[in-house]
Amino acid sequence: MFSLRPLSVAASAILLAHSAFGQTYQGKELVKATLLADTYAIVPGKPCNAGLLLRMAPGWHTYWKFSGDAGLPTEIKWNLPPGWKVGEIQWPIPLKTNDPGDIQTYGYQDEVMLIQEITPPAKIDSSLVKLSAQADWLVCERICIPGSANLELELSTATSSEPKNTDLFARYRRLVPQDFPAAQTASSTWSRTGNDLHLKVTGEQIANYQTLDFFPLPQGNTVVGHPSVESRQGNEVTFKIPIESLDKNLSSMPGLIVFSKFPNGNERTAWRLGASQVAAATQPSRTSRGLLGFLFFGFIGGFILNLMPCVLPVISLKIFGFIKHAGKDRRGVFRNGVAFIAGIFVWFVGLALLLIGLKAAGHQITWAAQFTNPYFVLALSVIVLVFALDLFGVFEIALPQALMHKMLHSATREGEVGSFFQGVFATALATPCTAPFLGTAIGFSFTQSPLIILLMFVAVAAGMSAPYFLLSAQPAWMRFLPQPGPWMVNVKQFMGFLLLATLVFLIYVLGAQRGLEGAIWASCFLLIVSVACWMKGAFIVPASSAAKRMTSTVIMLALLLGSGVYLIGDKFRAAIPDLVQIQQGDWQPFTPERLQSERDQGHAVFVDFTAAWCLTCKFNEKAVLENSEVREAFQRHGVVKLKADWTNGDPTITNLLQQFGRPGVPLYVLYPGKSQEPVVFPELLTKNIILDKLETITVASR
Amino acid sequence: MKTKLIFIPLTTLAACALYASDVPPVGSAAPDFSVPDTNGKTESLSEYKGKYVVLEWFNPECPFVKKHYGSDNMQKLQAEYTDKGVIWLTIDSNAPGTEGNLSADQAKRVMNSWKTRQTALLLDPQSKVAKLYGAKNTPNMVVINPDGKIVYEGAIDSKATPNPADISSSTNYVKNALDESLAGKPVSNAQTKPYGCSVKYNKSS
Repeated sequence: MFSLRPLSVAASAILLAHSAFGQTYQGKELVKATLLADTYAIVPGKPCNAGLLLRMAPGWHTYWKFSGDAGLPTEIKWNLPPGWKVGEIQWPIPLKTNDPGDIQTYGYQDEVMLIQEITPPAKIDSSLVKLSAQADWLVCERICIPGSANLELELSTATSSEPKNTDLFARYRRLVPQDFPAAQTASSTWSRTGNDLHLKVTGEQIANYQTLDFFPLPQGNTVVGHPSVESRQGNEVTFKIPIESLDKNLSSMPGLIVFSKFPNGNERTAWRLGASQVAAATQPSRTSRGLLGFLFFGFIGGFILNLMPCVLPVISLKIFGFIKHAGKDRRGVFRNGVAFIAGIFVWFVGLALLLIGLKAAGHQITWAAQFTNPYFVLALSVIVLVFALDLFGVFEIALPQALMHKMLHSATREGEVGSFFQGVFATALATPCTAPFLGTAIGFSFTQSPLIILLMFVAVAAGMSAPYFLLSAQPAWMRFLPQPGPWMVNVKQFMGFLLLATLVFLIYVLGAQRGLEGAIWASCFLLIVSVACWMKGAFIVPASSAAKRMTSTVIMLALLLGSGVYLIGDKFRAAIPDLVQIQQGDWQPFTPERLQSERDQGHAVFVDFTAAWCLTCKFNEKAVLENSEVREAFQRHGVVKLKADWTNGDPTITNLLQQFGRPGVPLYVLYPGKSQEPVVFPELLTKNIILDKLETITVASR
Repeated sequence: MKTKLIFIPLTTLAACALYASDVPPVGSAAPDFSVPDTNGKTESLSEYKGKYVVLEWFNPECPFVKKHYGSDNMQKLQAEYTDKGVIWLTIDSNAPGTEGNLSADQAKRVMNSWKTRQTALLLDPQSKVAKLYGAKNTPNMVVINPDGKIVYEGAIDSKATPNPADISSSTNYVKNALDESLAGKPVSNAQTKPYGCSVKYNKSS
């Protein structure tokens, strides 16, 4: 019936309807298809089950609901009288097959039964019912042949019935995956890095099985790679599921978590992770809790802003102002306070909207990536230095005169409108103190969605205005405020030294990027910037004459421009990094070729993606990677250690980072010896994480 | 020491397998290759720079391939687009000793009797090209633009069945990708899951 003359498009078998049918090929029976019921008779209104039993010749297989890299799932089309209903196919847990060329398929060998629930109507007129179905399958060995059969099930109707084919139905029901257990028994969490989904499953059952696997059920046009076990320990297993199509937003995938004592063992069970569990498992986990934490810190940060020297005097001044203006009228004080707070909120929400706008305009910058640019680091050094000099009192950052006038003017205005503008301007005036803190918030927010940016800034505003709110509601609490006084100048100057410490770090980064020479030229430029700031503080003040101010400004600008062109545009630009001594101890410099050749030789390889300016990297290296116990473990397991230095934004390293879905360093990857997938470590290392992973890898590769 | 030595070829093999599974993503540069066609002429992708190129993985024994050739669907597509200057390369990547592996003469016979209209049919018995593109199915389709970038990869159409009657009601992704590209528009459906038989790789690859 089936010939393989190239042009013959395999015709569907045209058959008389029967309960059984045999598909033959070159005189050999490949598939015997039978339609069965689990009951002797149909009882009106009472659901029963029908099963399509496929018996395959040895070596031939049919496919699961998701067939894998090749093949097609078996299909059943029912032709039922009106009023009858049929349920979904209850697919037994399939077997995974690997074919040459890394082709992985999911299917059934020897025999499979696909069970569906049939619900008859409450009233059936005839005493005999015929249920017919068309089954289509693809059966493959090395070649594939489609098969099709029209099958019929003839059953009498009765008021009661006995079960039939019990063993067969029981056997295949046992092979149907169970629902994912309740929360107290097991849990699942999804995450995504780059093009890989990670599914972490926790449950006591996990420790009892030697072989664990994830069989994916991709939806739509999603192309899924081959899932693998990324790590497992005790009650916990993490699967890695690579996504090969461009579904950037895909964050989870239905599928089966399959347990067996042996690979492809017959004693297998599985948990079904459906779309609903997927949604339930992902939502309440880390993201929302993480966001609440950030908002809390935003609030606390905003509150602490009030203790900054530029802000603290404002509180008592404002509150005294309210009291003065409103007399002893508590409600008046409160109304003024609320207006003042509204001003603070408007300022911060405005900042947030500005940021969202910048982000939307395509300035999707992360601090980490910026740090690979030495000019960015230099600019940051200048800003930090200028702020420090401001805090020392060398000069003062002041808003433009016109703004100051407006501020003074509005301060003398009566009522809520005046208070509102005071709120806006007080926050603006406090910028020299708030900038270092807001900078951090801005850096964070560039990686976030617009809504989160907005929420973050609202939280900061809420924190900053909390004392005003409390004090205008309860002016008596004013007595708890520390008195403004000379101590505040000391606090301010001390803050300046903290900024200088930051500057030391930045110069260290510049040194790593442009060598000692580069760092020196940059420092010379910073010195000129200091002189310029001093000139501004000493000569460009309202007290000096217009001519003097003019001359000073010209000299100042000339100094800055000249030194900028010479020191930065020429000397700093030409400076080259010192020969980096990467080969410290047993670390070797990383190149993709080196990684490949070590892996080809069967060595396990650990790659440390790092940069001079990355403090987390430095911490991990000192505290964990260079720890004697860890070094010894690396040595014992024969792991080759490579260091990938991203200080200057090496593009091959940038590519690799992106492959792992990371915007920057640190990144720690262990490539185990055998064909196992690389293991990615968390950004903050601990000794135990490394030691544990090294143990499992060595056991697996022996 | 001896047991360790065994792992060297094993890991090398594993590395090859990993390499094979690396599908170049849509938007990336199409890897170049040089393999002989049925006339013994070496065909390289690089010589077609500046033109649209379609790659079609082929196996005359595969029911899914037969679906599109038996219905004349594939021949019509080949004729329509080669007339518009598109280069259409059909590739037989099946290893010797497997179903669908064709000698040059066998391939010519199939081309004659099926009246195929591709630019050339390439013989790739070592599955080199299939590995480069991570091709796992017949048919598996790839569309490459004049800049040498992959603009489409995946199935030929939307209905994953071996039944030719389904062709008329399915969306042909390759036709859409070519029409959109030729009109200067981005491809709306640039990647789909290919369906069909497996490419018959050599057991050791």
